[in-house]
Amino acid sequence: MQPFDYVAADSVEKAVKILIDNSPSARPVAGATDVLNDIRRGLVEPRMLVDISGIAELQGIEITDRGLRIGSLATHTEIIKSPLIKEHAPALADASLTVGAVQTRNMGTLGGNLVSAVPSLDGAPVLMALDALVTIAGSAGREEVALRDFFLGPRQTVLGTDRILVDMLIPKANLGKATSFAKFGLRKGQALALINVAASLHVDAATGRAAQTRIALGAVAPKPIHASEAEAFVDANAPGEETFSEAGRIAATQASPIDDFRASAAYRIELIQVLTRRALSEAYSQATGGPEGR
Amino acid sequence: MIEVNITVNGEARTAEVPPETTLLTLLRDWGLTGTKLGCDEGDCGACTVLLDGMSVNGCLVLAGRANGCSVSTVEGLSVDGRLHPLQEAFEQHASLQCGFCGPGILMSAKELLDANPSASKSEIRIALSGNLCRCTGYVKIIDAVAEAGAKMAAHGGQSNG
Amino acid sequence: MVEKVKEATRDTVLETATLEALKDIDVAGGGAVARRKAPPPVLKPEARRQTPSVGQRVPRPDSRPHGTGETLYIDDMTLPGMLFAKVKRSEHAHARIVSVDTSEAEAMAGVMAVVTGHDVPVNSFGPSYQDQPILADTKVFHMGDGVAAVAAISEQIAEQAVERIKVVYEPLPAVFDPLEAMDENAPKIHDPAPNIYTRKVIKKGDVEQAFAEADLVLEKRFSTQMVEHVPIEPHAAIASWDSSERLTVWSALGRVTLGRADLARTLDLPINRIRVQSTFVGGNFGGKNEITMEPVLALLARKARRPVKGIYTRHDEFVSSTTRHPFIMDYKTGVTKAGRILGRKVRLVADGGAYCSWSETALGKAAILSAGPYVVDNLHVDAYAVYTNKTMAGAMRGFGAPQVCFAYESQMDDIARELAIDPLEIRLLNAFDEGSPSPTGQVLESVVVKNSLLTAADRFGWKEPGQ
Repeated sequence: MQPFDYVAADSVEKAVKILIDNSPSARPVAGATDVLNDIRRGLVEPRMLVDISGIAELQGIEITDRGLRIGSLATHTEIIKSPLIKEHAPALADASLTVGAVQTRNMGTLGGNLVSAVPSLDGAPVLMALDALVTIAGSAGREEVALRDFFLGPRQTVLGTDRILVDMLIPKANLGKATSFAKFGLRKGQALALINVAASLHVDAATGRAAQTRIALGAVAPKPIHASEAEAFVDANAPGEETFSEAGRIAATQASPIDDFRASAAYRIELIQVLTRRALSEAYSQATGGPEGR
Repeated sequence: MIEVNITVNGEARTAEVPPETTLLTLLRDWGLTGTKLGCDEGDCGACTVLLDGMSVNGCLVLAGRANGCSVSTVEGLSVDGRLHPLQEAFEQHASLQCGFCGPGILMSAKELLDANPSASKSEIRIALSGNLCRCTGYVKIIDAVAEAGAKMAAHGGQSNG
Repeated sequence: MVEKVKEATRDTVLETATLEALKDIDVAGGGAVARRKAPPPVLKPEARRQTPSVGQRVPRPDSRPHGTGETLYIDDMTLPGMLFAKVKRSEHAHARIVSVDTSEAEAMAGVMAVVTGHDVPVNSFGPSYQDQPILADTKVFHMGDGVAAVAAISEQIAEQAVERIKVVYEPLPAVFDPLEAMDENAPKIHDPAPNIYTRKVIKKGDVEQAFAEADLVLEKRFSTQMVEHVPIEPHAAIASWDSSERLTVWSALGRVTLGRADLARTLDLPINRIRVQSTFVGGNFGGKNEITMEPVLALLARKARRPVKGIYTRHDEFVSSTTRHPFIMDYKTGVTKAGRILGRKVRLVADGGAYCSWSETALGKAAILSAGPYVVDNLHVDAYAVYTNKTMAGAMRGFGAPQVCFAYESQMDDIARELAIDPLEIRLLNAFDEGSPSPTGQVLESVVVKNSLLTAADRFGWKEPGQ
C-alpha cells in the first residue's frame, strides 16, 4: 500500500479542522473496509487518513424527541443487534445483514456505507424509504439534509473533502412504518447488489388505501433513487398484487441500470420489477398484519 | 511512524510501524504467520482474527486502529498444548485439506461459538460466509463447527477442558 | 506389524499375496537382497477389494499443524537478508516493446536488483511448446505478461519501484475471439506460427451416413467461460543462491521436477546445480503446475546476492496465472426414434490465450471424452487450440473434461426432450458397458456408469412424483 499519514481525532470539530487543513488530500476513515481497498486500487490517493472511529459523538443508536438517531459510526453488526432498530426500523437490520460478511459488518459502519456512495450500497434504500435526514459537520457548523439529496453520483456526495457525516435520523412519524428491503446478488453471502430496493407504506385504516408509499432503489442509476411515479401510483390505486406489479413496471422505467459483467441491463430491469413488487407486497402485509407481517 | 500497543493472545506487544501497516502485516511480522494473506481486500477471510472478540479481516484493519485493543489469532486457540474443541473437531472431520483457509475459518467459528455454542447449521453458514475454502468444501467444515459447538455447550461454553 | 496388516487384510487376495512377500523379506533378515525360496506369488487385483484403507477413518497427517497455524507455507518462511520481488506487467494485450527504462527504479533507495527479459539466458518455456517468455522482451502477448521485475528490501518499495519503470509500447492489433483468431487474415499472435497451434482429430465409422439414417439430428453450439483456479494461497516462491553458485528454490509448484528442468533450461544452468524444494501448498487445482516467477526470482537473487521472495497478488493470479480454457463446442448428434445415438460430430475450439501451456493435454482429453460415456459408433471429432491475446489457459481439474461434459450432457437432455424420453432412460440406453470401446478404441474395464446412474437416481428420488 502507498504510504500515508494517520491521525486519530477525538472530536468532530478537531476532525473537521484536520480535514480542512489538509484538504483535499486527507480523508476520514472509520471502519476502513472501503477506504483501504480504494487506496490499494489507486482510486484514491490520500496523503492522510483521519481516524474518526474514536469520536463519541458519532456513536450510538438512540430514540430522541425527533425520532431514531443512528450515529454514523454504528456498525452493521450494531444495527443488526440493536433492540431499538428491531423495534422501530427492522428493515434496516435486514439490509445491514446483507452487507459483506461478518468480518466487514463488524468493522464497516452504516455512515461509511452511505459516504462510499457506490450506487449498489445497501444502507441507503431503507433509510430513504423512511425519509431519513442526515447531519453533516463542516467549517460552517452543522447542517441537516434529506438523505435523498445527499448523493450526487457514483462515489460522490455533498460532503466534499472536508466535511463529515455525523448521524442519520429516521423521523418520529416514520418509526414503525411498514418497510421491506429486498436485494438480489449473485450469491447469498458477500455479494454486491445487482438490485436492491426498499418499500414503505402506511395503510389508511378507514379506506384501506396505501399512503405515503416510498420506493427507493439502489444499483439502478448513478445514485440511489426514489421511484416517485411508482410511489404515486401505489397511493392512487387499490393496494394488491396488480397494483404492486404495475408499480414495479413503472419503477423500472425510472431506472437506468448498467450493462456489465455481473448482469445485463435487461436482466436488471426484470429484477427491478420483481423486487419492487415483492417489497411492496411484503410492506403491505406488514401494515395489514397479514401472514408475512412481522 | 506510529506506535501501537496490542495485546495478542494475552501477551502485550508494542511496535513502531509505518501508518499504512495493516494488522495482518504486523501480526505476521511478529512471527504469527498462522494468519494468512489470501486476497488482501477483505473477500477471502484467510486473515480473520478477533479484535476485542469480534472477527475482522486483518488486511482491512490498520495497525493503528488496533492500538490499545486485544487481538486473538489461531496461535492462541490451544492452551498449554490442549487443543480447542474447534481444532479437535476440524481434525476429526478432516476439515482442513490444504489448510490455508483454516486459521481464518477457525477464528470466525470461535467468534460464533463463544457467543452461541448451540448455533444452528444455518447460523454457522452465515458466520462463515466471509471465509472462502477452495479444497475441502464447506460440508466438513460446517459439521466440525457444529460438533465443536455441541461439545462447548456441554461444558457450559468452556472451550478448553 | 505384519500381524496388523494381516488383521486388516484378512480376506483380500492381493493383500494375502503382499503378506507372503513381506514374510519373505523378513526371512531375509536385513540382507541387501531378499532371498526368495518360492517364486513370487502372482498378484491378482480384485476391483474395489484391493485397498482395505478405503472406507476407514484416518486422520490427515498434516491436519493438526494446519489447525494450530504452525504449518509453514512459503509466505510464512523468511531467510536472512531476504528481499521481496514485484513484477511490472504489460499495459497492453498485444504490443511491441520499444524500450524498457529501469534507471529510475534502480536508483531508488532499497532497490537491490532489477531485471528485464533481456537478462533471461533462455527466455522461453512451456510444457509442450516453449512459446512463453519468462519476462516479455520483444513483444507482450497479453495484459498479464511481465516485462521487468524488481527486488527490494520491502514489498512496498518493490511496488513503488515497479511503478517507476517506464515501458514504451507500440500497440499491435489484438485478437480476443478464438473464432476470429482462426481466420486466415487474423493477426498472427506468435508470428510466423499460425494461431491454431494444436489440432486433434478422431474419426470412427461414417457420421454422414449415420445422420442420413437418423430419425432426428440435433445441432447446437455450447460455450464455456474462462475460469481461474483461485487457490487461497497465491503463487509463491523463494530463490536463494549459495556461495558455490548453487540455486535453491522453495516453491508452491505442484510439479517440482518439471520446474527444476524449466529452471535449468531458462537459466542455462546444469540441472544438478538446482534444488527445488516443494512445500506445503495452499491449493493448486492445476494452476500451480508450471513455473511462473521462479526463474525471475533466481535472476534477481543472483544479481542482488540475497534470497528473494515473490508472492503473487490476487490481481496477478487473475491476469497472469493459467486458467481453465473457454471452449466453443459445436455438437451435431443423430439418434433413432428410440433415442439410440447413431452418430456424433463435434467441433471443439479451445481458447488457449497467449500461450500453449497445457493446451495439448487438455485438448486431447477433451477430444477423447467429447462423445461422453456413451457408445457412439460413428464419431468425428475435430478439435483446435487457438492463440488469443488473453491470459493463457492451462491445466485445471479435469483437463478439458468439464467443458465437453457440459456440452454432451446438455445435448442429451435436448434429445430426451425432443423425443419425449426420460433423461435417465436415454442415458441408460446409450451408456458404456463392460468392454465397450472408447472413441479411440480402448476397451474399457470396470465400467460402472449405469450402476452409478441408477444408484444416484434412486438416492435423489428421480422417479418420484414431482421430479
